[in-house]
Amino acid sequence: MSEVRGIKTENLNIGYGSDLISDICIEVQPGKVVTLIGPNGSGKTTLLKTLTGELKSRGGVIYLGDRNRSEMSAYDIARSLSMVMTEKIKPELMTCREVVEVGRYPYTGKLGILSEEDKDKVRDAMEQTDTASYSDSLFSELSDGQKQRVLLAKAICQEPDVLILDEPTSYLDIRYKIDLLKKIRSIASEKNIAVLMSLHELDIARKISDVVVAVGDGKVLKIGTPREVCTEEFIRKLYNIEGVESELLGDQYWEKNTDEPASYQTSLKNAEKISSDMRAGEKAGENCNDRLKQESEKSSAGSRGAKVIMIQGTMSNAGKSLVAAGLCRIFANEGYKVAPFKSQNMALNSYITDEGLEMGRAQVVQAECAKTRPVAEMNPILLKPTSAMGSQVIVNGKVVGNMKAMDYFRHKKDYIPEIIKAYDKLSGENDIIVVEGAGSPVELNLKDGDIVNMGLAEMIDAPVLLVGDIDRGGIFPQLLGTLDLLNEDERKRIKGLVVNKFRGDGKLFESGIKILEEKGKCKVVGVIPYMDLKIDDEDSLSERFLNKKPGRFDVAVIRLRAISNFTDFDTFDQFEETSVRYVETSSEMGDPDLLIIPGSKNTIGDLRELKASGLYDMIIRKAKEGTCIIGICGGYQMLGEVVEDPYCSEIGGKETGLGLLPVKTVIGSEKIRTVYTGEITGTTGVLEGLNGAPVTGYEIHMGETVPTKELTEFTSGKTGYCLGNVYGTYVHGFFDKKEILRGIVSKIAASRSKTINADPVEDYKDRKEIVYDKLAENLKSSLDMDYIYSILGINR
Amino acid sequence: MSKKRSIIFFTICILLVAGLFAINILLGSTSVSLSGIMDAFAGRADATTEAIIKNIRLPRAVAALVLGGALALSGYLLQTFFANPIVGPYVLGVSSGAKLCVALMMIYVLSRGRNIGLAGMVISAFAGSLIVMAFVLAISVKVKSMGILVVCGIMIGYICSAITDFVVTFADDSNIVNLHNWSMGSLSGIGWREIKVFTAVIMICLVISLTIIKPMNAYRLGENYARNAGVNLRMLRVILILVSSLLAACVTAFAGPISFVGIAVPHLVRSSLKTDRAGIVIPASFIGGSIVTLLSDAIARTVFAPTEVSISSVTALLLVPVVIYVMMNRKKDH
Repeated sequence: MSEVRGIKTENLNIGYGSDLISDICIEVQPGKVVTLIGPNGSGKTTLLKTLTGELKSRGGVIYLGDRNRSEMSAYDIARSLSMVMTEKIKPELMTCREVVEVGRYPYTGKLGILSEEDKDKVRDAMEQTDTASYSDSLFSELSDGQKQRVLLAKAICQEPDVLILDEPTSYLDIRYKIDLLKKIRSIASEKNIAVLMSLHELDIARKISDVVVAVGDGKVLKIGTPREVCTEEFIRKLYNIEGVESELLGDQYWEKNTDEPASYQTSLKNAEKISSDMRAGEKAGENCNDRLKQESEKSSAGSRGAKVIMIQGTMSNAGKSLVAAGLCRIFANEGYKVAPFKSQNMALNSYITDEGLEMGRAQVVQAECAKTRPVAEMNPILLKPTSAMGSQVIVNGKVVGNMKAMDYFRHKKDYIPEIIKAYDKLSGENDIIVVEGAGSPVELNLKDGDIVNMGLAEMIDAPVLLVGDIDRGGIFPQLLGTLDLLNEDERKRIKGLVVNKFRGDGKLFESGIKILEEKGKCKVVGVIPYMDLKIDDEDSLSERFLNKKPGRFDVAVIRLRAISNFTDFDTFDQFEETSVRYVETSSEMGDPDLLIIPGSKNTIGDLRELKASGLYDMIIRKAKEGTCIIGICGGYQMLGEVVEDPYCSEIGGKETGLGLLPVKTVIGSEKIRTVYTGEITGTTGVLEGLNGAPVTGYEIHMGETVPTKELTEFTSGKTGYCLGNVYGTYVHGFFDKKEILRGIVSKIAASRSKTINADPVEDYKDRKEIVYDKLAENLKSSLDMDYIYSILGINR
Repeated sequence: MSKKRSIIFFTICILLVAGLFAINILLGSTSVSLSGIMDAFAGRADATTEAIIKNIRLPRAVAALVLGGALALSGYLLQTFFANPIVGPYVLGVSSGAKLCVALMMIYVLSRGRNIGLAGMVISAFAGSLIVMAFVLAISVKVKSMGILVVCGIMIGYICSAITDFVVTFADDSNIVNLHNWSMGSLSGIGWREIKVFTAVIMICLVISLTIIKPMNAYRLGENYARNAGVNLRMLRVILILVSSLLAACVTAFAGPISFVGIAVPHLVRSSLKTDRAGIVIPASFIGGSIVTLLSDAIARTVFAPTEVSISSVTALLLVPVVIYVMMNRKKDH
């Protein structure tokens, strides 16, 4: 039988002495939210009570998954259906945790003793519902909103397939209401639970539901999407308010005939901000250190082949990545098998490995330097910020979900085994591992449970080089201050200091070296000159965004809030006099030769922001003026007519696009990740004649985009289309091939009567090799490599 | 509930039980010294002292220990069943029902010149308590108010007691003099044979109630959430009623009705443990019941020695204030 896990009724009759509603045939599929609406007394609660088993049905069948409810045992039902009802319960002397633990009873033995796993699940459920902070308080002493969330936690940790809620928002104020509904919505999609609830608030029902079921007059009157059911005419009829003036209520109770308002999403966002601000004070994750220790003991007992060195920095952008990359290349050039490693990356910018897994770009560069194939183990945890507060969490290349920063902080200890596993795998296959830290090792407030800097160094027993950035000034406080703030054991791990980005003759710093060595009691391994190398940026802190001055050939990239994969445009740096500007407001637009809309982690959200900032109109104006516009991935989706997110993969909803390409996009729940090799199959407008040029790169996207009318295919494999001077493609790295880059720039330049010398332009890859070697050469001449080999424990 | 709190609680309780047990053996109309008691156990004392210790005081202390625990446990199960902290076997009339039935049986059997026997006592007490329980349940279906339920229970108890009094008054058999004493509630005259019987029954009840810890905990969230946690409600209710009635019946059969232990002790235990987890409150109530009963029996025997006061009077004096306090506190809550 198929694995349907929702709930379904067939010709169900319900009621107390007589049928209240008959012939009910409804179905709730996993991950969907179905809402019952109808006037008081229409039988919504009776229906829900019948489904939970509180009332006996008066005929018909209820299916849980593919099983008939009446043939299931009490525990089987409990494992697949949980509920939150309106009845007020008054358990005396029962803590919230105990209330939630009842949710695990269907899974425990006769005595109801919870296993560690059960306890974890209880804790997770409470964290998910933000009730963890009062887990030891008595349930009877909570406010109604808190009680409701505790009961929701209980229902979640029951791990049901079906969640039934009766008026979950009654007694709650607006903030709790929003909070609770948003939780229900996200739980439904994250855990793939079928949610059936009754709601009185039509405005909310309309926006939260996938399907609305209207009951009244003893039958199910209408089932359909909110848009289909919540028409003014029908709602007025359902609640018997035909002709009643609705000024008092406003018109949010039914669909307007035109467009759906986005106000709810915004209000949700604001509420989320408020509540997460309020929670920011809560503290969690204490046990990390113990866990770390255990793990490290476990792992050091195992066999680990490779030598290891770790590069930590005094601050972000101190140059850790470059130093690590350079060392990788030096070791590789000298015949060692080298692999880079960074336990956790925070970057918008990800790369797809041959296995189709996602990893941070910085380790890709380092792997290229190490002359090895990038694999996801080099960067076991990748955080891609999706909003100011939250990130998409990717573990060993696979998305595990979206988390708020606080949630991640609480969960990160759970990822330690993954980190160790990844490291061990690399270590078994290589001679040397070059590990990169993140940020500064003395972010004292975050030191508990650190898994990126000293915590990691301890786990894998790595000697550490500490890199400071002299260009930004304060090299002495940077290095000496960091040493000072480390505890004794950690300080012992620091085997050398590196002064990075020194401008001018390194000899001039000799007296500085002496001071550092005297005061820091630590060897200075080298002074690295300032290098102006064009290497993939690590993260959005990049200085790249700051360039606002147009060059002779001007490329404008729309600076989306959730911009992803922006190294797509680094290859333009090869041209003299070419500028790549990141445009944030319409006044910054100017008159670019090429306008690029980059990929986004949040297409619909960014599209809305474009509309708000005026860039939306500006882009359309530029298109009318004939500016060449290329959309990559999310940017391509935005160029179309409409973007829909029916499964809430991003933020849900639907948004009209720029309408420059007659295509439409539906964001699916499956993420497509493939490496791409193809060619330009057709061109229109200014790029005409580029046909046949090879395209390499990769695709990462959730959506599918199809033309709404006949259209010229731009990149092969239906990955992109074009119309006039507007081009869209899903291929990241589209500009990497020299044929493409030369072709595009020279064609556009010619059409705008500019001359640009495109001959020295190389494939992005070839050019990179040159840069990497130069980097290695620079480092080798400025670092005491013998000493570095000695701390690695390699005798040459 | 913290672990530390329950460890302290149980340690204190066990010390109290041990202490009170020793005191109960020491105290009595014949004064026996501690060394005398040791001698008695070692078989070195004179026959009278040994008989006093081994056949009177020791069984009496053991009876207080076991029966007191049983009463408190019965009360806790009933409180869980009715989700009402002011019920117990005595206030619901269950004890009185058991008493009436035993009295009737005794008179009937004695009038035929036969002895009722221990099994007969237990069975008739159980029957009596179940009959009253059936009445109370019928009322509880009609009446949702906890207060009215308790008032009805007390009324039923009075009716049963009144009938018992009639029966005792008019049955003018010398054997029934015993019945009068018994019907007031007394731990005197319990021998080892009786102890074996009721200890076995009570231990079985204790074990059964330990097996329903999980559904009892879920039941605290109300029947709907309990059902949603997979609890077989009918089974839980049947077990709760049968076990609590059997416990109350057992106590009544051998010691007569002992008042208020079943209602007050679980409350004292809960509020000092600050939890209502069945897994902890069940053993804690049992021990608590033992302590209160040992203490009350010691008082009953010694305060007006050599005259013995009814143990029920002592427990009432000690525990009624607790019950009143609980009721007043509940008024505040709701």
